[in-house]
Amino acid sequence: MVAFTTTAPPARASALTRFRRRRGGMVGLYVYLTVVAAFSLLPLLLAWMTAFKDRAQVVSNPYGFPNPPVIDNLQEAWTSGRFSQYFMSSVIISVTSVLAMVVIAPLAGYGLARMRFWGRGVVITALLIGLTIPITAIILPLYSVMRELNLLDTYASVVITHVAIGAPFFAFIMRAFFLRLPAALEDAARVDGCSELRLFWSVMLPLVRPGVFTVALLEFLWTWNNLILPLVFLTSENVRTLPVGMLLLTGRFATDYGLLSAAVLILSFPVVILFLTFQRNFLEGLASGAVKG
Amino acid sequence: MAATSTRAQALTQHQQARRRRLRRGGRRTLIAYAFLAPALILYVMFVVRPMFELFGMSFFTWNGVSPTRDFVGLDNFSRLFADSLFWKSFRNNLVFVVLLVAFNVIVGLITASALARAPRGRLLFQLIFFLPVVQASIVTALVWKWIYQPDGLLNRLLEVVGLGFVTRGWLGDPDTALPALALAAAWSGFGLSVVIFLAGIQGIDQTLYDAAKVDGANVRQMFFNVTVPQLRPVVTVVFLLEMIGAFQTFDIIWATTRGGPISSTEVLATYMFKRGFTEAQFGYGAAVAVTLMIVVLTAALVSLFVRERNED
Repeated sequence: MVAFTTTAPPARASALTRFRRRRGGMVGLYVYLTVVAAFSLLPLLLAWMTAFKDRAQVVSNPYGFPNPPVIDNLQEAWTSGRFSQYFMSSVIISVTSVLAMVVIAPLAGYGLARMRFWGRGVVITALLIGLTIPITAIILPLYSVMRELNLLDTYASVVITHVAIGAPFFAFIMRAFFLRLPAALEDAARVDGCSELRLFWSVMLPLVRPGVFTVALLEFLWTWNNLILPLVFLTSENVRTLPVGMLLLTGRFATDYGLLSAAVLILSFPVVILFLTFQRNFLEGLASGAVKG
Repeated sequence: MAATSTRAQALTQHQQARRRRLRRGGRRTLIAYAFLAPALILYVMFVVRPMFELFGMSFFTWNGVSPTRDFVGLDNFSRLFADSLFWKSFRNNLVFVVLLVAFNVIVGLITASALARAPRGRLLFQLIFFLPVVQASIVTALVWKWIYQPDGLLNRLLEVVGLGFVTRGWLGDPDTALPALALAAAWSGFGLSVVIFLAGIQGIDQTLYDAAKVDGANVRQMFFNVTVPQLRPVVTVVFLLEMIGAFQTFDIIWATTRGGPISSTEVLATYMFKRGFTEAQFGYGAAVAVTLMIVVLTAALVSLFVRERNED
């Protein structure tokens, strides 16, 4: 012990080693983060780059940048691969679902957040359970419901199910936004003789616009990416969506990497652009929704 | 006389007030349900009702289209519990869940705490980690299918670092297909757990770290003695969310191995799909789905319970 203290290095040297060690720690930290970032990014980057390589390049230069970049794959997927048609189906389903959801979720969220009513606890519990019901588990009865309603092979079957399954989640997101508004707002409006609907529409709704926008983005993301609903409900070619089209493509052209990559690019481009443009809404929306739901 | 009349008056006034209140309460309830109606109607018709129908369906044999179905009681379930392929799917599903959740909780937590200490580039790294989260599951499936191919990126990397002897077609080998797919699924959920953990870490009282530093704690000690215990509620939530999600996995497996090779990647959802839709045994498929539903709902209820307790 005594020997240790007497041979302890002078303070200056110790500060230097501490500095070195800290800098070394920072280097290690960034090396680690870069490795994990490569794990996240490289698989996607590889697919996006392959989309711009022709057949010869895919073989001769599988991991490098496309040189020169060609758009043959994209053209082929878009026209003879019918991805223009699938793209339209996906757009119709996603946009309709988003429009329905931005009406339904704020209404429900407002009711849950700002009103006291009979049966409120039961409704909230029922919706909370709804957050966790797996689509895959109820897909068999859903199929027979849609068959009874003669909705199979129509966009409506997919849109209705998307909205019904997403309703609890988005209602709770909107509820969280409405809960943040001060109670004084309502009281003031009521004193002025404002009706419930006007109170909602003209006073409260404009204040939760960021929430409505987040709902729209997330609903778009989920409907755009969803595979199982259109796979089960839509069987004819003219209503097929992008993910289903891609699933069929992987079966038929399993080794045409260029074409499949073009399909990946077409499918992921819109959501990546939306994500990079509205990062905060995605990060906060998904993280908060996940923690709350 | 006067006293009783005033009492009667008071009583009627009281009753009237109560009636008014009730009427107003009834009106409030009506208005509230008017706001909730669109969401509730859709939810009840297309989620709650199918859920009950699922339980009903599991007591019948039915091909999904014929107008008649035969009631068979618990036959589907007794067949199910004697079905070795069902148990294999169940076991595979558990292994898949454990691998996926372990990766995203452990690596996610380490990465989030590294990110919290990084002075620069925090947002950039978050965006990169999050990119896979916004990808369609079919994209995840396809991209990883290529990586795992005999001539794919993984084998190439292994050769480069001198591990050429372990190369194989990762999804074609029954020993590696399931963990390989679990890693692919973990990749797609990883960014979300990092972002949630990071938000949690940034909410930790900084004085705890300062105190630990004064006591001479190093980074590793601070991680295990401050970050992990402080984050326990967040870890629990992420753990249960990932678990609930992983139990339902269908897309990634359906788009790559379809449960093969030799059922090594069969999980409850793919088994249900095959029996129900491919073989048109709706009753039997429904019995598989019921077990899936019970497992997921149990996990969900536990998560709700834990969260309520944390909030108190």
